[in-house]
Amino acid sequence: MSNNRVSRRQFLGYTLTGVGGFMAAGMLMPMVRFAVDPILQQHEGGDFVLTDQAVADITEEPVRVDFSFEQTDAWYVSEVTNSAWVYKEGDKLIALSPVCKHLGCTVNWAGDPEQPTQFFCPCHAGRYEKNGQNIPGTPPLGPLDEYEVQEQDGFVAIGAVRDNTLV
Amino acid sequence: MHFIAKEIDQYLNQQDYVDTAVVPLLQLDLSTNGMKPSAGASEYLQTLTALLEKQFKGRILLLPPVSYAKIANRQRIADELSEELQQTGFKHVFYLTTDAEWRTIESLKNVLWLPAIPIEDMDQSFKKSVMEDQLRQVLPLFMKEWSHHS
Ligand code: FES
Repeated sequence: MSNNRVSRRQFLGYTLTGVGGFMAAGMLMPMVRFAVDPILQQHEGGDFVLTDQAVADITEEPVRVDFSFEQTDAWYVSEVTNSAWVYKEGDKLIALSPVCKHLGCTVNWAGDPEQPTQFFCPCHAGRYEKNGQNIPGTPPLGPLDEYEVQEQDGFVAIGAVRDNTLV
Repeated sequence: MHFIAKEIDQYLNQQDYVDTAVVPLLQLDLSTNGMKPSAGASEYLQTLTALLEKQFKGRILLLPPVSYAKIANRQRIADELSEELQQTGFKHVFYLTTDAEWRTIESLKNVLWLPAIPIEDMDQSFKKSVMEDQLRQVLPLFMKEWSHHS
């Protein structure tokens, strides 16, 4: 199962602010990105985490893809597993963050049997379209974040999180 | 949410939404032979509650494990904890434990007893799948409680 061809250490650069950093990451990462010269952003291929999900098996139906990296919180290094919802739009790979933009629960694709083509948040019934657009009238106030994603040797590799570019 | 100062600020602003407290109950056995299983149970319980927190971050407040000695009076702990929780705005409280003695305490509602699985020798990916399995057993209990009284 485990796939170590790319060192997990390469992901250290993305260390968040601690166990509670998922929420903050959504807000901070975009700000950090604005501060970086946009030209540099074209070349950050080294910071992707390789997963064991084959690109060939990805369809238009979002699937959960896990990826692990080491996170340093002060002196304490721990392995963190995050996941992304990955699907294809034509030939393009799309990876969305599962972190609900309301209060941070984990959303599920088709989690509500009555809405089989939406993401569903079990906490307060937040809902999102497949592209991450939040459904008005449910608690979330913004779209799901998006991960940078690419294919490496036939497998999905997940990069940095950023604001949703699809909606 | 975790019981850390930064997230408590957020909790205090969102109490209507974060309506469930989760209290891990952890027995300490520090005897020479008991220490390793005790540590293993602690690892299991805290791994499970961390996964639970990640799934339901916006609806639960995960308290730090309440740890006590083997001889502790469970009934007294139960009474004191309930009293402390009574003054909060939580609509639901869940206790998670691997300590079978809690099954005899009837005054506590929603005590989820799970036999500890020794996960310490498993490799990462196997441990992950075992713990996700465990999580899948617990999630519906929360969903059920929420759908009944919300
Ligand atoms: S945390 Fe997702 S709807 Fe509230």
